[in-house]
Amino acid sequence: MKLIITDKEEFKIPIAGEHKVIKPAGDIHQCVGCFGCWVKTPGKCVIHDGYESTGVDMSKCKELILVSQCCYGSVSPFVKAVQDRAISYIHPDFTIRGGEMHHKRRYQNQILFSAHFYGENITELEKEVACALINANADNYEGVVKGVYFHQEKELEGISL
Amino acid sequence: MKIALINGSPKAEGSASGILLEDLKRHFSGETEVLEMDMRKNSVPEDLIKELEDAGVWVFAAPLYVDSIPSHLLSCLVQLERVPWQRSCERLIYGMVNCGFYEGVQAELALAVLRNWCAKAGFSWGGGIGVGGGGSLAAMPETKPGKGPKAPIHKALDALAGQILEGETQENVYVTIAFPRVLYKLAAQLGWRQMVKANGGKAQDLGKQLE
Repeated sequence: MKLIITDKEEFKIPIAGEHKVIKPAGDIHQCVGCFGCWVKTPGKCVIHDGYESTGVDMSKCKELILVSQCCYGSVSPFVKAVQDRAISYIHPDFTIRGGEMHHKRRYQNQILFSAHFYGENITELEKEVACALINANADNYEGVVKGVYFHQEKELEGISL
Repeated sequence: MKIALINGSPKAEGSASGILLEDLKRHFSGETEVLEMDMRKNSVPEDLIKELEDAGVWVFAAPLYVDSIPSHLLSCLVQLERVPWQRSCERLIYGMVNCGFYEGVQAELALAVLRNWCAKAGFSWGGGIGVGGGGSLAAMPETKPGKGPKAPIHKALDALAGQILEGETQENVYVTIAFPRVLYKLAAQLGWRQMVKANGGKAQDLGKQLE
């Protein structure tokens, strides 16, 4: 299954195969740093606003694809909120990988991770940070990066996932 | 000189970001006016924007969430970028990002996002500190500056405060607590087990897999 997380309310990009799209549909609550998704209801966020199960969705996906406005090299606030609310995909315990501390796996699927950033004036420094962030995310999900792409917003109409 | 200390943690109290800002604030006195504020929600109220207008220095403190700054703070930055500031070219921005991971360098990309935001907003980036072992700061007893597990952090804060007061910039500095990584890792694991039990669960629930 492909899991797409996007800030585009009207998402018209064609997607091949089985998929799920998480996009703005009502306000999303921010992560409040309570760790309830690890110690109260392990595996699921405790805030019930329709965005509490992304960690479970990630456990079922083969590919995770972000389609997001590029904000200073980061994804947009909406996509980041979905990511922040989905840390239950991983286990709270630490492990050491590549000489650095990361979290252990909760699930065994290995995510193939890609990101399509859009925006009109994305700078080279922002592209550099965006690529590094997707790689860092993949390290923490213990996944593999498929690709990081940059587009003008209108060019999104021409891509397929 | 007016310095805005901005706590970007979503937590109302007891945050590591708040502790870092308190430790930094101790360096400012006399002619330095300190403005303290929280950015805990997705937007910045108008009255805070007015207060920020007069501050020539802003210091953001935030936790590391998924390799970057939390979504609500990112949302606030997007809003602040669009404000027609009168004194934007004179404003100097610093950042302090703490992470639950042991290595402070894991905050590097969050600081880079703040730096990139400065470029878009027309502000100057002054540099920052990435702090590892942030998960332990709230639990640490108060120690004299330069003593105990927080000593490396105090040293980095001393240097940052000096740069702020001089109006200078610095390269990012990455520090961690003076406490062995293996013990920090064990302490965290013990903490998660205590927390899950306090919530009526069992240790093995921490690894529960949902369908």
